[in-house]
Amino acid sequence: MQKIPLMTAKAGMILARDVFRSESEIGIPICGKDTELTDTLIARLENLKVQSVYVEGHPVWEEGDRGLDDMLRDLDSRFAKVRQDPLTAKLHDIYANYLKRSMGESGGRKTD
Amino acid sequence: MDEKQTELKKIIMDTKTLPTLPGVINKLSALSDNDKSSVQEMARIVSSDQVLSARILRLANSPSYGFYRVSTISNAMILLGVNVVKSLAISSSIFEVMEKNSVGLWEHSLGTGVVSNMIAKKLGLPECEEIATAGLLHDIGKVIISLKCSEAEFEVRRIIDEKQIYMWEAEHEILGTDHAEVGCWLAKSWFLPDKLTEPIACHHNVEASANHRIKTSVVHMADVLIKASGFGDSGDSFVPLIQQAAWDALKLNEQIIAELVEELEDKLVEVKNFSLELQQDCDAPSP
Ligand SMILES: [Fe+2]
Ligand SMILES: [Fe+2]
Repeated sequence: MQKIPLMTAKAGMILARDVFRSESEIGIPICGKDTELTDTLIARLENLKVQSVYVEGHPVWEEGDRGLDDMLRDLDSRFAKVRQDPLTAKLHDIYANYLKRSMGESGGRKTD
Repeated sequence: MDEKQTELKKIIMDTKTLPTLPGVINKLSALSDNDKSSVQEMARIVSSDQVLSARILRLANSPSYGFYRVSTISNAMILLGVNVVKSLAISSSIFEVMEKNSVGLWEHSLGTGVVSNMIAKKLGLPECEEIATAGLLHDIGKVIISLKCSEAEFEVRRIIDEKQIYMWEAEHEILGTDHAEVGCWLAKSWFLPDKLTEPIACHHNVEASANHRIKTSVVHMADVLIKASGFGDSGDSFVPLIQQAAWDALKLNEQIIAELVEELEDKLVEVKNFSLELQQDCDAPSP
């Protein structure tokens, strides 16, 4: 499952979660889980100001975003100047753990 | 400071070549912030300029303010406060340039606004909207440098590449000043309140902030977090050092940071969507 910006949604993708109006998970869903997206449906969600949807698998890959190992390598290079500093190093470790958790399981390409 | 630096700095900090602001803004500056009749007058003046109101409403509905559905200027003033609307009015012409020509910096600014708001809410701080605005504007000095002196911008980018240093370090080498100082000067020329000017001026040196240390610390931390996430492009790709002064002022701990990372990663998907929508609007031929 992946959370994607609605602007990157394409016909054929399958909803992995119910879609609600304006981010609040209360009330009646606009559109149910397991629905296959169509162009008309995407346009309708756009009109309802939906910003993001959860879809099956991991269909949207940004450039350079090729999986956990690459993400960790990018993280290390962003932190290259500050790894010696105890406070900033803590943030690095928190981020690395976050990436391992979110990419390691259902979010990652490996499981697809 | 050598001659070259002095010359470039003079070009950048020349008030005569400040981006021209809509005439409306001058009228706004004359009105006081909290006087009730002024607020109504201000709403009336802004609403009379349709292009300006549209830009303000678009920013007011940006993820930095948690996706309020703001549909009128008077509503924006009630929800976001007069100060925020005033700074959105005067910055909208700057953002207009940014959205089109430097999407990376625009996304970095938008992201910093979002995370500033997130931190402020999490810590239960007052004036979340103003803190979000300070975050949105914190690197405004970079836009001015690039607008007014492309030669300086080119040199700055070249030595960041060559020496792998932070952007503010490169700016000091080329200009003898940096975007924080330029941004502060700009904010002052536009008569923005101190609580917005100080975070812009001190986000790379929290200890120098005397009167608005908390707001400055939030913006500093938001900048660090958004650069840690890799979202947007602020000019260099290096995470800044977390300043002890900011950590102490906000009484942060590892638990809070871990929760923030989780929340911001979730939110960035929506921020990306907002930015993609804007780019699509920019690309679309005007009707
Ligand atoms: Fe900065
Ligand atoms: Fe920044």
